[in-house]
Amino acid sequence: MNANDHVIETRALSKRYGRKLALDNLDLRIPRGRIHAIVGANGAGKSTLFRILLGFLPPTAGQARILGKDSQALTPQDRARIGFVNEEHTLANWMRVSQVTAMQRRQYPHWSQDAFDGVIGHYNVLPEQKVGQLSRGERAGLNLALALAQGPELLVLDEPTLGLDVVAKRAFLESLLYRNAADDCTVIYCSHQMEEIERVADNLIILERGQLKNMSAPDDFTARVSHWVADVPFKGPDPRTVPGLLEVQRLDGLHHYLVLDQSDGFERFLRDAGARNVQSMPVSLDRAINAFLAKNHATPVAA
Amino acid sequence: MARIRPLTLQITTGDPRPIIKQITDAVRMKIATGELEPGDQLPSVRGLAQQLTINPNTVAKAYAELSTEGWLESRQGMGLYVAPPRQRLSNDERERRLSDAIDRFVHDVIPLGFAPDEVQARVADEFRQLVPRKIA
Repeated sequence: MNANDHVIETRALSKRYGRKLALDNLDLRIPRGRIHAIVGANGAGKSTLFRILLGFLPPTAGQARILGKDSQALTPQDRARIGFVNEEHTLANWMRVSQVTAMQRRQYPHWSQDAFDGVIGHYNVLPEQKVGQLSRGERAGLNLALALAQGPELLVLDEPTLGLDVVAKRAFLESLLYRNAADDCTVIYCSHQMEEIERVADNLIILERGQLKNMSAPDDFTARVSHWVADVPFKGPDPRTVPGLLEVQRLDGLHHYLVLDQSDGFERFLRDAGARNVQSMPVSLDRAINAFLAKNHATPVAA
Repeated sequence: MARIRPLTLQITTGDPRPIIKQITDAVRMKIATGELEPGDQLPSVRGLAQQLTINPNTVAKAYAELSTEGWLESRQGMGLYVAPPRQRLSNDERERRLSDAIDRFVHDVIPLGFAPDEVQARVADEFRQLVPRKIA
């Protein structure tokens, strides 16, 4: 196993649905190992990316490789190395839990019953229950247990904790973070839960309108965003001239700027715009991502 | 063999301080106030990660930072321990940080209108409670 290799590699990957470009010339390389969180607004292309990577959808243009293989030509052996938990936790509703489990056990050569039991034990799921009778959280637990038990090299999780109760969520995070089996596994995790990302992610990938916008440790991303408060007179400088502007708000007569990649030079900018008082402060990960995504987020035309 | 000293600390997500910094700040504070003493063993990386429900790599990075700064030392194959105290900052840097802290304190306190003697007595009192060993 090459330590420098990439579990996922896309080149100029594009996907078009009619007039809408879901992936736009995406060049993404995710190194092996650790936990990578993918964040993006709704419709940023996360699910499309996963579908193409897993070979469920063909790209419109460009290339996608997963574990070094062309994603459009994956063999069953390749698929055995990839665990996937999708957002809807789709499993055959008419099957019993014991039947699904037996089927997976037959399909995957590296099946680990211990790993399965270790996860499913957190949920009150009975073998004779039909999948269709399970609650959303129980289905999520079953799905994760199945994915981890196949001993994957790469685990792709699309919104895995959506709809889980607090106990199930914690159990889920624990199985992801502290099980030994997960140590050799690269995890790619797509979520809107900033609190979770702050706790688990080694690497933060931000997608926006089908393009890669950030790839760094979450703390490094947070450090790129700063919050400035200044008493610039009147309406303040034209927002189009504010360097690195993500968000501006006027509160109690003071201008609040959230800006990207600005250092002390920004204070000079504000002073030149007539500010007498300028203060800056760091922001939280949640706030940083929010401001970053809000910049180009869709808003009604009238707004 | 020294037993592991539990680390009673809380981390907050959504805080402007990254989790790594929350851990390093808390450990430094505990060492500075004597809650952790030289020779005390710290929780394992995995243990503390699990206690706080965070990524073990985050704890490893925090521990690495504290070790580089000389607050912790590792003993081969045995884990991490609180290092014996030594001066970790240059005299200029200590002086600078003290001035900063006094500045901030004075700015905060003057508008409150207490008599200077009273403020000083309170500060001395607080010191006696927090760092008993270092005053004596």
